[in-house]
Formats: sequence, C-alpha cells, structure tokens
Amino acid sequence: MLKAINKTIDNRHLNPWTLLSAESITLNTDRHSRGTLVLGIDTGGTYTDGVLLDYYSHEVLASHKSLSTKRDFSIGIEAVIRGIQIEDPTAIQMVSVSTTLATNAIAEGKSKRVALLLIGYDPELIASFDMQGRFGTPHYYYFDGGHDLYGREKTTLDLPGILAKVGEIKNDVDAVAVSGYFSPLNPEHEHRAFDAISGICDLPVVLGHQLSTKLGSVERATTAALNASLLAVLKEFIIAVRRAMEHRRIRAPLMVVRGDGTLMSDEFAAKTPVETIHSGPAASAIGGRFLSHLDQALVIDIGGTTTDIALVENGHVAVTEEGATVADYKTSVKAANLFSIALGGDSHITLDSENRIRIGPQRVTPLAYLADQYPRIRSNLKALSQRSDVHLSPDWLEHWYLLRDPVGADWLHTEQERKLVDSLAEGPRPLPEILTHLNLYSKVQIDTENLMRREIIGTSGLTPTDLLHVEERHSAWDAGAAKLAMDVFCRCLRYDPADFREHIWLKMTETIVHAVVTFLSGKKLTLSSHARDTDIGQWFFRNSLYDDHPQLKTSFRLQPPLIGIGAPAAIFLNSVAEKLHCKLVLPTHHEVANAVGAVAGSVMITEEVLVYPQVSGDGLEVLGYTVQTGDHREVYEEAADALAHARAMARERALGGALRSGADNPQVIVKEHSDGLDTFRIRAKAVGKPRLMRLGGKDHGVG
Amino acid sequence: MELVDVDTQHAYDRIREAIITLELGPGTLVNEQELAENLRMGAVPVREALKLLAHDELIVITPRHGLYVADISLPDLEQISEVRFTLEPLCAGLAAQRATADDLMVLEALRKEQAATAPGDNRRLLDVDHKFHQAIVRAAKNKYLIRILEHFFGLSQRLWYMALPRLDMLPTSVAEHLSMVEAIKHRDEERARRIMHDHVKAFYDQVRDILNP
Repeated sequence: MLKAINKTIDNRHLNPWTLLSAESITLNTDRHSRGTLVLGIDTGGTYTDGVLLDYYSHEVLASHKSLSTKRDFSIGIEAVIRGIQIEDPTAIQMVSVSTTLATNAIAEGKSKRVALLLIGYDPELIASFDMQGRFGTPHYYYFDGGHDLYGREKTTLDLPGILAKVGEIKNDVDAVAVSGYFSPLNPEHEHRAFDAISGICDLPVVLGHQLSTKLGSVERATTAALNASLLAVLKEFIIAVRRAMEHRRIRAPLMVVRGDGTLMSDEFAAKTPVETIHSGPAASAIGGRFLSHLDQALVIDIGGTTTDIALVENGHVAVTEEGATVADYKTSVKAANLFSIALGGDSHITLDSENRIRIGPQRVTPLAYLADQYPRIRSNLKALSQRSDVHLSPDWLEHWYLLRDPVGADWLHTEQERKLVDSLAEGPRPLPEILTHLNLYSKVQIDTENLMRREIIGTSGLTPTDLLHVEERHSAWDAGAAKLAMDVFCRCLRYDPADFREHIWLKMTETIVHAVVTFLSGKKLTLSSHARDTDIGQWFFRNSLYDDHPQLKTSFRLQPPLIGIGAPAAIFLNSVAEKLHCKLVLPTHHEVANAVGAVAGSVMITEEVLVYPQVSGDGLEVLGYTVQTGDHREVYEEAADALAHARAMARERALGGALRSGADNPQVIVKEHSDGLDTFRIRAKAVGKPRLMRLGGKDHGVG
Repeated sequence: MELVDVDTQHAYDRIREAIITLELGPGTLVNEQELAENLRMGAVPVREALKLLAHDELIVITPRHGLYVADISLPDLEQISEVRFTLEPLCAGLAAQRATADDLMVLEALRKEQAATAPGDNRRLLDVDHKFHQAIVRAAKNKYLIRILEHFFGLSQRLWYMALPRLDMLPTSVAEHLSMVEAIKHRDEERARRIMHDHVKAFYDQVRDILNP
C-alpha cells in the first residue's frame, strides 16, 4: 500500500489544509512523503460513509457506504469501520466523525429529559414574547438572582428555592441546565448553583456561560438545555465508536466535527455535544471545498433524506454569527450557514390532497430496495399492475414492513400497535391491505409514531431512486420492481411514464433552484401552482427556469461554480447548474465528500474574555474595569491594563484549549470587538491541524 | 474521580458502583473481557478503569490469578473506621469555621431530604447520608481532605451495603445530622467535632456488630 501512495502523491500547487480554518492562518505545511492514514466517517440520516485518506497527499485510498440505523448510529459506524478496506489498521493516525446524531435526537425528541433553571429571568417578559416554547425543554423554572449589564448582582440568588426544586425533580430528569441572566458578565450565580446542586444529587449540571459568551439570554438557556439533553447521547456514541475502533485495532485519537466544520477531541465533544449540531452538512461543504480546491463555490449535498446547501467564500465555509437553529430552537452555537430542504433520492413520491404530485418531505425506503430484500414484492407489484384501474390508487405502492422484531412486549403500547405488528409478521404489506386488516378507512387513524420512531416498522414507496433504476442510471437493486411501481403510479394518474419521469426531474430541479435562490438572496418566494398568479417574483422565477415569455428573457446566473456532493449529485445537479447558468464541478470521490470533510477540518478553539466597566452604585462613576472569563474575574483600574491582560488571557486560554483539544502547533489570533458602553469582547482563536498519533509510539496492547 | 477519557470514565464509574453496591461482591473474580461485553465497551478502557480501581483498593490485581474484587475483612473495617473518626471530626470542626451560607443551605437541604425519606428506604437513606458527609468535607475547604476521604468513603460504602439489610440506626442519625448542622451554623467547632466523632463511631460499632457474628 505504501508503494501505491508514493506513486500518487498529489503535486497540486495549493495545500488546501492551510485554507480550511475559519481564519486565514498559514499553518506549518510539513509534507510527509510516507503515507499518513486518517479515517473520516460521516453518519447521515440515510447512509454512513467512510473514507480512508492519505492525510498529506489527499488521496482517497478506500471508501465504504453503509445504511444508517437511526435508532443507533453506532451500528452504521461499526459497519463502516468493519467494512472499509484497511490493510494495516494500526497505521491509522486519526479518526474523525461528523454526525447528525445531535440534530436528529433534538428533532425527534429522543434526547434526555432536562430541568432548566433560569436565574434572574423575567417570567412575564418571556411569556409576553411567547418564548417559553423555545427553551428546548418543557421543564423550566424561574428563580431570583442574576446580574446586570455591569456585572453587579441584580437580586440575591434564591439558592434555597433552587435546592428545593432540584430535590423535588431530581428523580424525574436526566440532567440539569442552569442559565443566569447576564452570566457571561458574571457567572457567580451559575457557579454557586452548580456547587449546591452537585452537593445534593449526582445529575450532570451544565452552565450557560460555559457554552456561550453572547448576551442573548434565551438562546443561552436553550443552548444549555439542549447541551444537557445530549450529554448521555453523545457519550454513548463516543463509547460505541471507540469500541468499534478497538475491535479493528485502530488506536488513534478520535475527533468529532463541530457545526462549523472545525474539529474537537472526543473528550470536548462529550462535554459540549450541542456544538455538533449541523456537523454533517458542514463536513460535506468542507469536503467539497477540499476535493475541488475551489475557494469560491456553492456546495450542494444531495443525500437520501435531505439536500443541504452551503457557501464557500475565500476558501472557508461561511459561518453564521447568529447561531444554529435546530428543530425551531434558536441556539447560540456557531455553525456553518446552511440551508436544508427535505428533498433527496429517497423522498416519497405521492399525491397531495388535491391530487398533485408531491416529492417528500418524508423519506422512505425505495421500492427497488424493498423488492431486493423481499422478492415477493415484485410479484405483488406485477399483480397490481394487471388490476383494473378502478381498484388502483398510489396508496397501493406504499408498503409497511417490520424493520425488526419488537423484543419485549413493553415496546408495543396499544392494541392497535400489536395488531399492526402481527399483520406484518409475514412480510411487507401495502397500505390499503393494512387498513382493511385493521378495519380502518385512512392512514391518519393509525398512530404509528412510536413504532416509526423506534424503527420497528418502516415505510417503503416510490422514490426518485426507483425512477433512476428505471432509467438504468442506478442499478443497485431491483429495477424491474421499480418499473412496475412507476407504471402503476402513472396509470393512476394517466401519465405517460416518460413524461412522468421528466416531470419529477423538473420538479426536483425547480425545488433545488428555488432553495439556492432563497438561500443566497435571503428573500422568501412561495411557489403557488396557480398559473394566473400576478406576482412578479413568481413570474420571474418561472420565466427564468422555463423561458416562457416570448419577448422578455430572464435568467439566474450563479457566479461561483456549483460543487456537487453525494451519490445522486451527478444525476440531479446537471439540470440545476443549467438553470443557474453556472459550472458544475463534481470532484472525484464527491459521493463521499462528507466523510472526507470529517477529516479535512482544523482543530479550533475560540475563547472570549469580556472587559466591562465597574460602575459606582449610582451608575455615574467608573471605578475600574472587570476582566471576565468563564471562571476567572479580575478588576483593573485602567481600561488599557484590563485590555492588555484580557488579550494575554484570551490568547493563553485559546492556546491551552486547542492543545487539549488535539491541535498540533496551534496558531492564535486575537481580535477585539467593542460592544459599546465601554464594554469589550476579546476573542482569541487558536487553530491548528489535528495532532495525529505518532506511529511507533507506546503500544497499549489489545488483549 | 474526574478522568479525561470518556470511555475510561464511564467504565470506572460503572464498575466502581457495581463494587460498592456489592453487585460485584468481595472476592469475585473479574473477567475483563466479560466486563467489557456487559458494559458494551472495548477492553482497553475497562482495563484502564480496573487499574484505577486497584489504586482505590477496590480491585486486587494478582500476577497469577488475575483480577478480583477486594475482600472485606474485620481488621480492614477497624482501620478504615480509625481513619474516618479521626479525619471526619477534623472536617466538621473546619466546616464550623469555614462553611459559607451556601454550604449551610446544602447541608440543610440534605438534612431535610433525609428526614423526609421513608424509614424503610435504606438505599436512599444511605445515599443521602453519604452526600451529607461529603458536603461537610467540602465545607471544610481543604482539597487534600476531600481527596483522602473520597478514597475512604469508597471503601466504607461497601461496608454500609453489607450491613444494609440489618441496619436500623438511621432514625437516630436524623437527629444527629440536625444537631451537627446546628453546631456548624453556630460556628461551634468543638461541638461539631464531638458530634461527628460520636456519629461515625456509633455507626461503626453497629456495623461491627452486624458483620461480626
């Protein structure tokens, strides 16, 4: 293998590693001529991808795709680590993982129960803005305390109240989050709450000021609550990944991708799981940038479930300063600026209530795959295609099937669930048959949420992936079954099959172009199907796509090239690029660029130190300047001294953090921002390449 | 103990708890591989955790016979109790000097919780009692005492669990905890020290009687 690597060392003039950090820092670019292997893994909603990469030559040596199991992402990771071709696993010097685990756990309510203690928040103010629902947990409680804009104690901390509440609920929650009003300026109350709560119970306690130095109090509380809810989830995940690594005798450091594409060590990730929100799409964008060597580009990643769009500017993935939003929760977590739509290769093609064709938002198992697993499906579809039209509806294509046996009886909550699971014991069944069996008229009468969420039953139906099988552009599974399914759908709609496929491709193109336009413009455009609509925005959009008007010509012109990521990108994005009049770049290995992106990021630690005036009781006189870090606080007489000290401290903390987080020779840059009111924010960013394991080091020995 | 490694920490916490609650009884042979499988972890973190537990004197590593959970002997009990009723009164005295208002609130909360716990719920009572003792050590504001006593708490908690089925001193300890909090609150070092001494000693006397047939 070493020989192969030596032969194919990449001599491209640019070293993309140096450009992937969020700031332009020239890193040491010590080039190694011998192979330095790293393993990148991305766990998406549909697939888990892995790549074995030569770290310095950027050559992809092996890749592996395996289906994700949403109830336990570690299953897919184990399959990838087991399945990827590695001749000498001990030569791997780093493993890095990006994961939608956090995003999914929050979106699907699978995270742990959290008690959120809000210190010094005004319940009436929160209620008046209707923000109670935004905290990320239904169990939130208000207590007296908190500080003001000058870090002065606003009200005495109600510690007895906090202790009484925690004592009352400690057996009903899995973790506690504490957020104090203006705690980044003075975290004293959060610290005191932490000490007291840890004195009376063993629950993990998360403090808001440790996760965000921004002053937005609701976002900070949400971030703390979500972080607390994810602690156990990410810990289990890390343990599972390390176990899988050990089984293959990989003894390398494990890194986890953050939502902005940078890396952190697994220990950091276990403490700040909330930072992994959006790490999957961020890794895709970085991977696309890395493989294409383009500094300006729009990256589109088409997966099975979603399509994600990100922008690469000056070699960096654009990051949103506002904070990531997940499942309608606004957090203060820094993440890549992403636009995500529920459209992918496995989106369900159905009819809406007005009998119009709809693609997604549900993701289902393609029928071609189902027929591949259960050969009976093909004959069923055959029989279906020979039925008279009167008895036919697209509902017959939707199949439900058992993904696994519900082990204990307690997995099934209702009589209906038991009956449903029983009816599927013999194999997948079409929806109308299931309804008859259960004596029901409509799908909405069946409560499948529990069964679907626990991945006991799955849904299969017609998808774009099936149509690709029909067109022989994809051939993994049963193309015959896919064709039968498509014919049934077309007969129901009296569509010509070729026109139908054309319609689906156009519709997908339109949806993606629409997403690109709204993402880049920041404007909303609702697409209605009424042709007589007088809205010029709509007209402009349609005219630019379909060239309808005989005299007026309009078009979109995307300046940077489009980078396509994901297996179906080659198929779907050509027409998108055409409509956007831009160049489409499909880098080699673009289908696993997400996994490449997982190892391509830099390790980054940002530390912020706040400097703000200490004022007299009447607020008229400045007595000095407070320098506040997470747990350290000092007061200086002169602003200049305070700032100098803050700079030194920020630098030192960022550097130390980066080293602990696994950065090799990190470089630090310090920037100063004024928040007005004589208040300053000193931000130090330490960025370095991940520290790889030194080969030939101490052998820990696996027994 | 705060460890860096996520999985070693997890293995350490889980195995330590199993030993303390006697799920892994004294003298039990420990098979690393089996333990790793039960915990659904790799063998490396489990091995690391066992090494740390050997440090804690909860696991014994022998070159020939492998690993086993440390035995409990009566002489051990005597020696552990000697240390505890010397050091814990010291902590109680220091706590009377140094306890902050927050410390007192925590002690008060734990005392109330203990009083509110059903008399038969021994496991929970033990847990609250343990936290109460930890809180006093913390209020003494001496990190070395915290570390030393954490070690001895680990050893003596096993004794509690052994005596648990026949232990019935907890109602009296409710009153003792109350007077201890009062003494610390009134900065009465001497009294805090004496109450703690008698409290720990009475407890060991009873455990000794139970374990000594």
